[in-house]
Amino acid sequence: MRPLWWTQILAVIRLEMKKTFFARRGLWIYLLALAPVALFLAHSLVEIHLRGVRHEMATQSRPITEQDLAAIHEGMTREEVIARLGDPPASRITMRRMPTGPHGFELIPGEVLRYSDGSTELTVVLEKGAVVGTGTTSGSSLGQDTHIFAGVFQFFFIRLAIFFGCLGIFMNLFRGEMLDKSLHFYLLTPVRREILLAGKYLAGLLAATVIFTVSTALQLTAMLLQFDTATISHYLYQEHGISQIVAYLGVTVLACIGYGSIFLAAGLLFRNPIFPAVLVLIWEAANPLLPSLLKKFSVIYYLKSLCPVEIPVDPGMPPLLALLVSNAEPVSAYIAVFGLIALSVAVLAASMTRVRQLEINYTAD
Amino acid sequence: MAVYKRTYRGYSGAITPSWSRFLVLFRFSRETLFRSKVQTAFFVLCFFFPLLCLLGIYANAHLSVFSFLGRRSEPLLNINGQFFFTYLTVQSTLSFILAAFIGPGLVSPDLANGALTLYLCRPLSRTEYVLGKMSVLVIVLSWITWVPGLLLFAVQASLSGWQWLADNLWIATGIVWGSFIWILILSLLSLALSAWVKWRIAAGGLLLATFWVGAGFAQAINAVLRTKQGYLLDVGNLVAAIWHGLFRDGVNMGFSVTEAWIALLAFCGFCLLLLMRKVKANEVIR
Repeated sequence: MRPLWWTQILAVIRLEMKKTFFARRGLWIYLLALAPVALFLAHSLVEIHLRGVRHEMATQSRPITEQDLAAIHEGMTREEVIARLGDPPASRITMRRMPTGPHGFELIPGEVLRYSDGSTELTVVLEKGAVVGTGTTSGSSLGQDTHIFAGVFQFFFIRLAIFFGCLGIFMNLFRGEMLDKSLHFYLLTPVRREILLAGKYLAGLLAATVIFTVSTALQLTAMLLQFDTATISHYLYQEHGISQIVAYLGVTVLACIGYGSIFLAAGLLFRNPIFPAVLVLIWEAANPLLPSLLKKFSVIYYLKSLCPVEIPVDPGMPPLLALLVSNAEPVSAYIAVFGLIALSVAVLAASMTRVRQLEINYTAD
Repeated sequence: MAVYKRTYRGYSGAITPSWSRFLVLFRFSRETLFRSKVQTAFFVLCFFFPLLCLLGIYANAHLSVFSFLGRRSEPLLNINGQFFFTYLTVQSTLSFILAAFIGPGLVSPDLANGALTLYLCRPLSRTEYVLGKMSVLVIVLSWITWVPGLLLFAVQASLSGWQWLADNLWIATGIVWGSFIWILILSLLSLALSAWVKWRIAAGGLLLATFWVGAGFAQAINAVLRTKQGYLLDVGNLVAAIWHGLFRDGVNMGFSVTEAWIALLAFCGFCLLLLMRKVKANEVIR
């Protein structure tokens, strides 16, 4: 490649930076990227608060073990519960309405006692001096949270947030200039159209990659915020946490590469983004149903194979959701990375042939 | 006559009655609706499923015609609430795509080109303007949702007799109310997006994103916060909950129908607020 071409590509990237990062019409992409961060942050803050409450309860009562909590069952009297667990650190009086007929009801007084061993909270419901129900709640473990993160990452972040974010960023590169009636300024400069396309693609890719990888990193940070240093160290160094984080960041970058190339081409082919958005979304969703040859022409096929944590298929999961989760024919990481980049290069090559014949008709827009 | 002698004279012809004035906007918008061939083709495509359902209902009532396929004692299809629920689900999906085409182009050109003042300087209030623009979507989407739905219901009633009609009148109510709720939500959201997003095509894309991303985010909230209340952010799910109630199929969506109504009313109110903030006349002071 000639040095002049590099200079021109860098010049296009420099010009596009402001439009892709700081445009008012692109603010919704930041919201889309930051929405899951807010969600994980809220979860962590709630968990930290609940852990504090449980710890406070544990210090206010006599030392209780897990066996003590498990020993409480229905039918025990209030005195038996107090004898086993001591005075409750938190309790409240309740009144339950029990229907006695079509229009009448009886008020039944009750009491709810709460105990904690520091990690698990036991709620004991008493009526007429006897236990009528018990329930335990405990904080979420890191293992559970990594599975939930994997689900949110695959279902929401890749399939919707990055998908629509790339639609907004990459379709805007050419179609946005058409609507602003400013593309002819680029076409009048002595720059090859392929170079222009490459520059615009790289600018869009830079913006999408920065926005969404930062979002992924922030989501992981927000998820880990609730755990102590020892648990985080154990996850990072003993349970392949670092490799998982690198894999998530890598998948994010590859998703931006893949969807970016597709939506850049769509911006050259379609005037209305609804067509490509609906078509690509249906194609990606239908990936598990496609024959193995056609599967290779979708981005999600490669991304699913690269996701580090597999989502377990719950027997109660709706069939459609289970189908989306399933990855019947996973490919190796090398093939997945190579396949996705090859797909993107092929789409970009096709776009380059299209951009050579591009004619501007502003009145049509 | 010299040009300077042509002074302003007020319109002295017949005036449209004030109650139907908003329909003037529909009359003019209708002409531009089907200029696009793709849009027209899609609109025609929207009638294929009702036609298929009609054939199914007819075949169901004339099973003897298919005797060569072997003896059948049970009907091919159960024409009940579930059948019409499926019909409404398919048609509402198609109407959503049609609204994504039509809706964004209704208000944004008026705002982008400063034409709103031209409407509002006439005897047309802001409410009538919004009603007029909304009537475009309401009428067009009605053609593909409850109108063919009621036709199917009438055909089934004519084939099955008065008793079936009397027993299943609630289905007709479900078709009409279910469609109206969906059309109202689509119309308000399309107009709000059209008013706030200058680009017509970007508004269409945002309409899709609102529904799909909303559904995905609702699932994410449920998974992360271990709750079912996330579904209250998923407009599609809220409407489905109300439809399940209307078609009496006893499906529990994880939240009550009352909650769904409250959430939908809040959503519609928010869309209306967004819309009315943008639809304002300008006063030019010189």
